[in-house]
Amino acid sequence: MQKEAAEKTASAISRIKGSEAEVVERSSGTSPRWTISVKCNPENWRGLAEKLHSTHQVDYCSMITGIHWPEGPSEKKWEVVYHFLRTGVKNPPEIDGVQQPIITDPTSVKGKMVPLEIEVSIAIPDTRTPSVPSIQDLWVGADWNEKETWDLVGIDFEGHEGMRRVLQPHETPTGYHPLQKHHNLRYHGFEEMYDDAQGFSRKPDDVGKVK
Amino acid sequence: MAEMWISMGPQHPMTHGLWTLKIKVDGETVVDTVPDLGYIHRGVEKICESRDFTQITTYCDRLCYASANTWSHSYIYAAEDLLGVEVPERAEYIRLIAVELQRIASHLMWMGAYGPDTGNLSVMVWCLREREMMMDLLQELGGSRMHYNFPRIGGVKRDLPHGFAQRARSKLELFLQRIQEYEALFDESTVFLVRTQGVGYAKAEEMVNHGVSGPNLRAAGVNYDVRWAHPYSVYSELDWEPPVERSSIKGADCYDRYRVRVEEMRISALLTLQALDKMPGGSDTYHEPGDPKLLAKAPSRAPEGTSGYHHFEDSRGESMFYIAGGGEARGKNPYRVSIRSPMFITIPYASKCMIGYKVADIPAIMGSFDPCIGETDR
Repeated sequence: MQKEAAEKTASAISRIKGSEAEVVERSSGTSPRWTISVKCNPENWRGLAEKLHSTHQVDYCSMITGIHWPEGPSEKKWEVVYHFLRTGVKNPPEIDGVQQPIITDPTSVKGKMVPLEIEVSIAIPDTRTPSVPSIQDLWVGADWNEKETWDLVGIDFEGHEGMRRVLQPHETPTGYHPLQKHHNLRYHGFEEMYDDAQGFSRKPDDVGKVK
Repeated sequence: MAEMWISMGPQHPMTHGLWTLKIKVDGETVVDTVPDLGYIHRGVEKICESRDFTQITTYCDRLCYASANTWSHSYIYAAEDLLGVEVPERAEYIRLIAVELQRIASHLMWMGAYGPDTGNLSVMVWCLREREMMMDLLQELGGSRMHYNFPRIGGVKRDLPHGFAQRARSKLELFLQRIQEYEALFDESTVFLVRTQGVGYAKAEEMVNHGVSGPNLRAAGVNYDVRWAHPYSVYSELDWEPPVERSSIKGADCYDRYRVRVEEMRISALLTLQALDKMPGGSDTYHEPGDPKLLAKAPSRAPEGTSGYHHFEDSRGESMFYIAGGGEARGKNPYRVSIRSPMFITIPYASKCMIGYKVADIPAIMGSFDPCIGETDR
């Protein structure tokens, strides 16, 4: 049931310019689940996002992940991965001024109400200023996800309004994004530690290292 | 009257943790809000890049101090998806019991904190009394009271101890009776009703677009639940339905969000009782740790170019992990671990919900969304 809906949606997404979609079987403890995995170019991403939102009724943006791949091939030095859900949630109807809760059974729904998991990954070629179009206006849930991705990974979102630091302090230096791979968690191994005259354990200075 | 900005937090009873809510007020009315997070950002995602898949479980436990088990299970499902592990069915039932007991404990903690938020101090003591029963059961499973480190990639740490099923049944039956005491305590308190009814309306479609899920969404009259719509684990084999609240036509108010959590505790207790009955091999048998009925063999390295993710119903909404495998160069470590925290997305929405209400309504509205700053800041 979910597999058929996923296949149908995947073939429809594949016809959109610049995107390839396939159905991936993923495991979930004891039972399998079928998800849609889409690859897209940064240029065609905005068009795809609008189609997903309007035609395919993907209503829930779950998460945005930015990845820095410094050792990767030159066409994929950065990657942005979006995870969406199609929840099919509608406002409950009102009868005689009383709201009627919507009780759906996910195994019996059809068409565009079938819950789906969609993953969209966008590869960005080698650049010092990685950026993709923002989808803040389509899914408001993407707003803080985009802020976080810029804050931690340094991938910018064109057209994002009100970009600012959210998890790091506001006075963090410009251009410092800790999840980029040239920032190390620890610059010295434990074997480089030494005891000073008072017997306190010290580590060599980090002077000159990129923090 | 002139408008002005007020900073609520980082030390304010409303915040339930360390964060600041900047509010713009016009007299007593809230006109605008800006949430400011990140006070306890620990860089868990960066730390995970230099730990192997087994070690990360411990860090995930510490994401949320009120709901540790749901977070480590959320990670484990994503890691199993990445490493391609099939879990024994008995282990899945034990995990379900651990997660549902944790959900009850987490909601009780929320309820205990929400009472004082709305001027009902005795609730706190009552809720902690029942939470103690859940903590005792979880301690029997995981060995500690707060950060259990219970699931393993491919199964669970150990089987249900001798006599656990009987103790769990009697405690849950007692708990199901005591839920009525909370309902009496809240629903018959005029102060509580005045402070929560008709305050903080939120509509279903708007919440989905803002990325709000879990009990906060179900309070608005839709039964969307990740356990229900995208069934994982053994939830589809049990007989249950997610709780739904009949809210008013304006959307869910604070009172509906309280009601739905009470119902959810009841359903979690019933799910646990069902799982104890239906468990393959029976809940009274005991297997030594590492038995193939409890723990499947799992590879310790992920090939390059692979990724795994899993949507999971946390006590506060949909949590999720995305893990990119590292390949040979990274050894046993993942290349990137990304965490979706439900409260990180919900707090900005909850802050928008306050606009138009009075300053005195802020604790009631914010508390009803159940913020947990440990997972928000990561």
